[in-house]
Amino acid sequence: MSVKKAKLHRLYDVNGWMFVSLAVGLIALMTIYPVIKSLWLSLHSGRGVVTHFVGFDNVVRLFYDPVFKKSLVNTLVFLAIQVPIMIILSLSISSCLNASNLRFRSWYRLAIFLPCVTSLVAYSILFKSMFAFDGVVNASLLWIGIISDPIPWLSDPFWSKVTIIAAITWRWTGYNMIFYLAAMQNIDRSIYEAARIDGVSPVRQFIFITVPLLKPVILFTCIMSTIGTLQLFDEVVNITNGGPANSTLTLSMYIYNLSFKFVPNFGYAATVSYVIVVFAAVLAFFQFKVAKDK
Amino acid sequence: MNKIKTLALTTIISLSSLQGLQAKELKVWAWDPNFNVAAMEEATQRYQVKHPDFKLKVIADGKESIEQKLHTMLASGVTSALPDIVLVEDYNAQKFIQAYPGSFAPMQKTVDYSKFAPYKVEVMTLGENIYGIPFDSGVAGLFYRRDLLAKAGVKHADLQNITWDEFIEIGKKVKEVTGKYMLGFDVDNVVMMHIMMQSGGEWFFTDEGDLNIIGNKALKETLLTLKRINDSKIARPVSGWSEFVGTFNSGDVATVTSGVWMSASVKSVKEQSGLWGVAPIPRLDLPNAIHASNQGGSSWYVLSTSDNAQGAIDFLDATFGGDVEFYQKILVERGAVGTYLPASTGAAYQQADAFYDGQKVYGDFAKWIGQIPKAPYGMFTQEADSAVATQMPALLEGMDVDKVLEQINNDLKYQIN
Repeated sequence: MSVKKAKLHRLYDVNGWMFVSLAVGLIALMTIYPVIKSLWLSLHSGRGVVTHFVGFDNVVRLFYDPVFKKSLVNTLVFLAIQVPIMIILSLSISSCLNASNLRFRSWYRLAIFLPCVTSLVAYSILFKSMFAFDGVVNASLLWIGIISDPIPWLSDPFWSKVTIIAAITWRWTGYNMIFYLAAMQNIDRSIYEAARIDGVSPVRQFIFITVPLLKPVILFTCIMSTIGTLQLFDEVVNITNGGPANSTLTLSMYIYNLSFKFVPNFGYAATVSYVIVVFAAVLAFFQFKVAKDK
Repeated sequence: MNKIKTLALTTIISLSSLQGLQAKELKVWAWDPNFNVAAMEEATQRYQVKHPDFKLKVIADGKESIEQKLHTMLASGVTSALPDIVLVEDYNAQKFIQAYPGSFAPMQKTVDYSKFAPYKVEVMTLGENIYGIPFDSGVAGLFYRRDLLAKAGVKHADLQNITWDEFIEIGKKVKEVTGKYMLGFDVDNVVMMHIMMQSGGEWFFTDEGDLNIIGNKALKETLLTLKRINDSKIARPVSGWSEFVGTFNSGDVATVTSGVWMSASVKSVKEQSGLWGVAPIPRLDLPNAIHASNQGGSSWYVLSTSDNAQGAIDFLDATFGGDVEFYQKILVERGAVGTYLPASTGAAYQQADAFYDGQKVYGDFAKWIGQIPKAPYGMFTQEADSAVATQMPALLEGMDVDKVLEQINNDLKYQIN
């Protein structure tokens, strides 16, 4: 009896492993191997295919490289300003759109979600033309009378950052809104009913009921947005090309420049890409800590 | 005995020609369908007259896309999808040659390089080997609107042998009289900076490849001149290439200083025919500065992984490296100014161009090509461009130029190793 059971176990084991072996093999080939290889690559430096082992010299170089520091600061500025704006914006929009007495709800939802389905390059080029010196944004602002001189959106270090933040907020707010809407529909109506009977104002309902109950989803969207902003590439390449004066250069774009624009140093580029990995991991860790129940 | 010899000889000849027959189609990567691709196709047609079996296909793509594909394929060692011939911009040539040793075929055994402009040969030389066939020139000129300058009382003769300060004075007059800016100016655009610095006979690097920033008189004077131009309010601020081209196509600015390849963009507005002229570039305020310089230009390189590298070299040598008539044709049809020196004596170079009010512009450009100072472009020009562009706003806001140079030097020090 026990012998038979053991045999059966082995049969299941072997069969089970055979079922997953294809997936495991593919993951090993497509994910694990490149990760290990890039780690090994980041210990080398050189020009193109002429490389040599340098150990941790690439990491030391990071601390002296002013362009890297600049791109790191730019990326963190985008992160620190854009992610909170976008999360708060999409939370409040989804809360409004969840109201049952709102007419044309699905039309509004569609309109706000639609930017997400546009191609990154297409919308970047559109923003570039809208924010040009004689573009439609300046023309409208001048016409309304908010400004008296056109704003150099793309040729000023400060305003170019503003343009990039505006662009990515437009593109991704609707995407996060969908997560919140889905989660809000899972909140029991009776909780709000009870709050209403107790005389809690809608704003306080939002702060003390909706937000706490959405915490897992907010955490998820925060982490996803953080990772997405750390990898920011398409928008800056197409709208400002990193300029003016590197003021919108991001880490991802610097990696591209190191590999394809400058003398190719794939080892150092791999090291910079690990900076993104480390930052994403550390920030996600802190976000988990902050969101953890006390 | 003799018969056997002839028989053997004919067999060998026919066998080798048979091999020629079987030779695969050559693949070429190039950008700009109206310029480089068209020139390559013209060369192919001319070569096919004598070599009917010769086959070549040009694959047109963007410049950055070609560079990116070349980098990834050469770095990964997957050579099966590489072309036989590729176009590379001169500023990037040393980078590819040095970063992927052995990937490009040396050609000095076949090609007579003394017939090309020396500054072009310099960028493709590494040690004893010379790679590639020089193609178009970026010889610089001052394109100007005759009508606008005439209103300010400036004629063609007044634009010869001027300095940049005199250029600024003319610009102020033009702005006063016509209300138009003298030029478009983009801080991220390196064209003006390259032209000025090379006309002063220096580059970001020394001949040995070391940094040449602090103590680079030409660069210092270039930065000071750019600041003076910016301060004088004769420049219209622009951002990006299409906006820059738009300034002179729409008639908002009176001049553009650029490589000869800019002629295609200048001439794209037919209504402005007869209104333009070309003068030598103004001179930097330095004793050794001259009125000739260069910006851009590219050359053809043969990949050594090609099955038929020698065939590709022979083709390039017979057309781009020896066919004077070919250069006349691409000049007339495409405005392409080559760097093959014997071609500049041809008839097309002496032709008057109605767009430039009958000026023999290509004769002028050809004359300036021979004067362009050599510059050690090295492999890090892109890095240096980026470092200079980063400091430009600080310079224009009034930071001391020596401090700016020091900052550029610091930025670059950690980038080039």
